[in-house]
Amino acid sequence: MTRRTPHTLYLFAVPALALYGGFFLLPAVQGLRYATTDWDGYSATFREVGAANLTDVVSNDDLFRHALTNNLKFLLVVVLGQTALALLLAVLLAARSRGSTLLRALFFLPTVLSSVSVAFIWKFVYDPNFGLANALLDAVGLDRFRSAYLGDEATAILWVAVAQIWFHAGQMMVVYIAGLHQIPEELYDAAKTDGAGRWQQFRHVTWPMVAPATALVVAYTTIQSFKAFDLILGLAGNPPRSSLDVLATRIYATFANSQLGYAAAESIVFMAAIALVTWLQNRAARLAHG
Amino acid sequence: MTSPFLRRRDLLRLAAGAGAASLLAACAGPGDSTSATGGGSGGGLTGPREGDLSFAHWRAEDKDVFDRIIKDFRSKNSEITVRQDISPSNDYQSTALQKLRGGSVGDAFTAFRGAQFLEVAKAGVWTDLTGQSVVQRYEPALITAGARDGKQLGLPYQLVFNMPLANTDLLTKAGVSAAPKDWDGFLALLEALKGRGVTPIAWPGGDAANAGQLLNVMVVNNAPTDDALGKIETGAAKVTDDWFLTVLKQYQQLRPYFQQGATGTGSDAALALFAQGRAGLLATGSFQVSGVRKLGATFGIDLLAPITTTADRARYEGVFNATFILGVNAKSAEQPAALAWLEHLSDPAVAGVYANGTAQHVTVKGVEYTNPDLKALAPWLTRRTALAPRFQFANLDVRGAVENAAVQVVGGKSPEEAAEAAQKVIDQKR
Repeated sequence: MTRRTPHTLYLFAVPALALYGGFFLLPAVQGLRYATTDWDGYSATFREVGAANLTDVVSNDDLFRHALTNNLKFLLVVVLGQTALALLLAVLLAARSRGSTLLRALFFLPTVLSSVSVAFIWKFVYDPNFGLANALLDAVGLDRFRSAYLGDEATAILWVAVAQIWFHAGQMMVVYIAGLHQIPEELYDAAKTDGAGRWQQFRHVTWPMVAPATALVVAYTTIQSFKAFDLILGLAGNPPRSSLDVLATRIYATFANSQLGYAAAESIVFMAAIALVTWLQNRAARLAHG
Repeated sequence: MTSPFLRRRDLLRLAAGAGAASLLAACAGPGDSTSATGGGSGGGLTGPREGDLSFAHWRAEDKDVFDRIIKDFRSKNSEITVRQDISPSNDYQSTALQKLRGGSVGDAFTAFRGAQFLEVAKAGVWTDLTGQSVVQRYEPALITAGARDGKQLGLPYQLVFNMPLANTDLLTKAGVSAAPKDWDGFLALLEALKGRGVTPIAWPGGDAANAGQLLNVMVVNNAPTDDALGKIETGAAKVTDDWFLTVLKQYQQLRPYFQQGATGTGSDAALALFAQGRAGLLATGSFQVSGVRKLGATFGIDLLAPITTTADRARYEGVFNATFILGVNAKSAEQPAALAWLEHLSDPAVAGVYANGTAQHVTVKGVEYTNPDLKALAPWLTRRTALAPRFQFANLDVRGAVENAAVQVVGGKSPEEAAEAAQKVIDQKR
């Protein structure tokens, strides 16, 4: 005989469902609805435009295309750079010693700062006339490499990516350290017995064993890269120029330009882009692990 | 086993019904039932002058002066309190309208001339001030930027000159005794400053809000008509037209005279270069004079706009803007108190406190300027200046595309290429 759940217990799910419906489902459906209009965000009247907004976003909007390209560049650099740096730091600082604990804390420190503070720090670093980066180049005699950094059309978004990596690599390092501590020492002992050097130990033991942590780091970093809204506004101003624009800031700029219907259409494409990147990452991860 | 209160089937029905209702609600068209034709009036301007006011603006640097003015206001209006709600200028440009529409922020508020003024009007957030005695306190010619469809919706308060500041000490040392009358003369002035080992022009090319100020003076004499930038937005003119290509080519000529990394320089850094005497000109506007002084600059300051044509073709000596448009929020429940606050600000003595305390001219009649910099710049009040054309743009993406073309040229792109790219964006966005 099985005991059945009293039906009144279903009522306990109602508040959560109501919140989910009111604050997620409803706005999501509204977003779809707005995307088919030319609503400015405040007028009582609007025009139905069908799929015209979506068509324009996809095929006739250079600003959106620039933002998408920048976002993908940013994503690639941050995912690769941040993952590699976090893993390197974790491998170097995995040992439990006072020195490594201190260094871990030091590398983790940027994570606790607000995006605005980080933007302020890196604005100072990148300032072409008073900034730390050019001053350092001058100091070591490499002044021919001086740059306008955020003012350089071709590389501006990459400099923001560097700031983002500095901001979050320490956080990902902690994830990797937790993963490294899960690896049984016996595997390293066996590898050493087989004559494996440090690089071979890393390649054949550490790297496969931290795969779950890598998947987590890559997924989290991807989400962070799409959410780098406040850091970019802090570094590039509002609205950022096209060389620094990413999808989130572009949608915000469209919204601020009183084009709510069009901004809703941009948001739909934004979500589709995230879904596609996530799907590609999952496929890549599956292929990588056989 | 059944519940005495609710069966599972009932619960599912309830959830399905609520879900369907929510989806239907979500699928309803956007917009609301209120009119948004501009100049609407909520509680009305008459009634008891009392309450807690929010005064929304973007001038953080004016906070202390406003605090003094508020203290004076409170001594005369003990039933009204005033709180300053300040946002950075770029954020204010983007978000103020949404906040103001709620009515909880900005019982009295300010707006930028151009796109923001028009959007606020379209949303019906201005209260019509036509016929109010406070309007009579302003120079009529200087408050047209606050009028629309025959109604005086707002009162432009600041009178600023959107043209380069000049370090007159450095100019004298470089042998420049008078402002050049043509483009060649201006380039010669820059060369003379460069010869003195200083940066001829500090330009905040990395800060979109201030980078575009230079465009005002680069355009006014080159443009075939005063509304040429507005025509770019409507499609009646193009940035690939000869006159705008001339503007971009002149930006190209200025490249060697800007500071290093000009396209990545922020406003604070450009201000510092000028204030430290390391740059002869600062390509922003008179609204930064007080900032320069706060950094300890003691040299003489004047305004100096490049004349971008030959002397005989130059129609204007510079550019001005009437902005910081004061208004009463039509959605506010404290409109009589907000009007009292505007009346206080419009008192010539109080406007004088604001002007002299912030080193900015105002549009209020009969103000006595005692600040030495304002006195020095006072001759510009009567010179041939054009209303800043940059604010003719109502679409911020179009404005961004045009201004970005100039930044790209300074960054090394060819004028033709930058113009083509900008025109493509304009065609897509207008």
